Amino acid sequence: MDAVVTSPVELDEPRSGLDQAVTPPWVTLVWNDPVNLMSYVSYVFRSYFGYAEAKADKLMLDVHEKGRAAVSHGSREEMERDVEALQGYGLWATMRKDD
Amino acid sequence: MARGFQRGRRGIRAKLDAHEKSLLAHLFVEVYELLDAHDGPAEQDPLAVMVGIGTAVDTPADPALARLLPDGHRDDPQASADFRRYTELGLRDRKRAGLETARVTLGREGTLVLDDGEARAWAVALTDVRLVLAERMGLRTDEDHDRLLEQAEDEDEGVSVMLSLYDFLTWLQETLVAALVAPLRDVPED
Repeated sequence: MDAVVTSPVELDEPRSGLDQAVTPPWVTLVWNDPVNLMSYVSYVFRSYFGYAEAKADKLMLDVHEKGRAAVSHGSREEMERDVEALQGYGLWATMRKDD
Repeated sequence: MARGFQRGRRGIRAKLDAHEKSLLAHLFVEVYELLDAHDGPAEQDPLAVMVGIGTAVDTPADPALARLLPDGHRDDPQASADFRRYTELGLRDRKRAGLETARVTLGREGTLVLDDGEARAWAVALTDVRLVLAERMGLRTDEDHDRLLEQAEDEDEGVSVMLSLYDFLTWLQETLVAALVAPLRDVPED
């Protein structure tokens, strides 16, 4: 079951449309935990984001070995959607401003 | 003895004995009930609930529940509270629905055969159960598993039982993920 997503949270983040398109200012992070299987994490990246196997495996290994990985970039609203979906899969996902 | 999930022509199948099935059903119900418990203010605005906005703004006090419904921002409590207001109700609902799907399929006679949607619900349900079990056992870092194994060998029966259960679920989920991944093909990225 793919995650169904509720409406994005509207917050008073100042935005300028042009800048945003060039440098997406937000990032979704996935953190290492001892429970989620490496195969499952890679599977989630492939099935939710549609990433190719090599990219999904690379991100999964970054999570496992470096403790976290930035798995997607975009607007705040897009990252809220990704974080909610990944949390739905049981992954430990958070978002932050990409500075 | 269980045989893990495998993809066949008619779906993703596993052989589980009656004891294993009832154990799994029990665990799915336990986590369902954990997600059902409201530890926030009792009064919800019905209209807000209808559009998925809740009143919960705090990280759940139960660490296992907090692991199922984590903060959306690590260092920004206010942003986390806002995010939780808009997402927690929906997350709880979807997790419960998946656990319920998994539990219902266990009622089928004979070999368990799942379609892909049910198998995806199972993969998430097994994750959620393992997250809760891990938190209850104190399995919070990669090193904790070895420590628990030593504890189990030192005749701590409680740990021993929980750890073998956890390892059984891990094994079952590994076979399920392998079956789910099998037909995935890479689409060229542009």
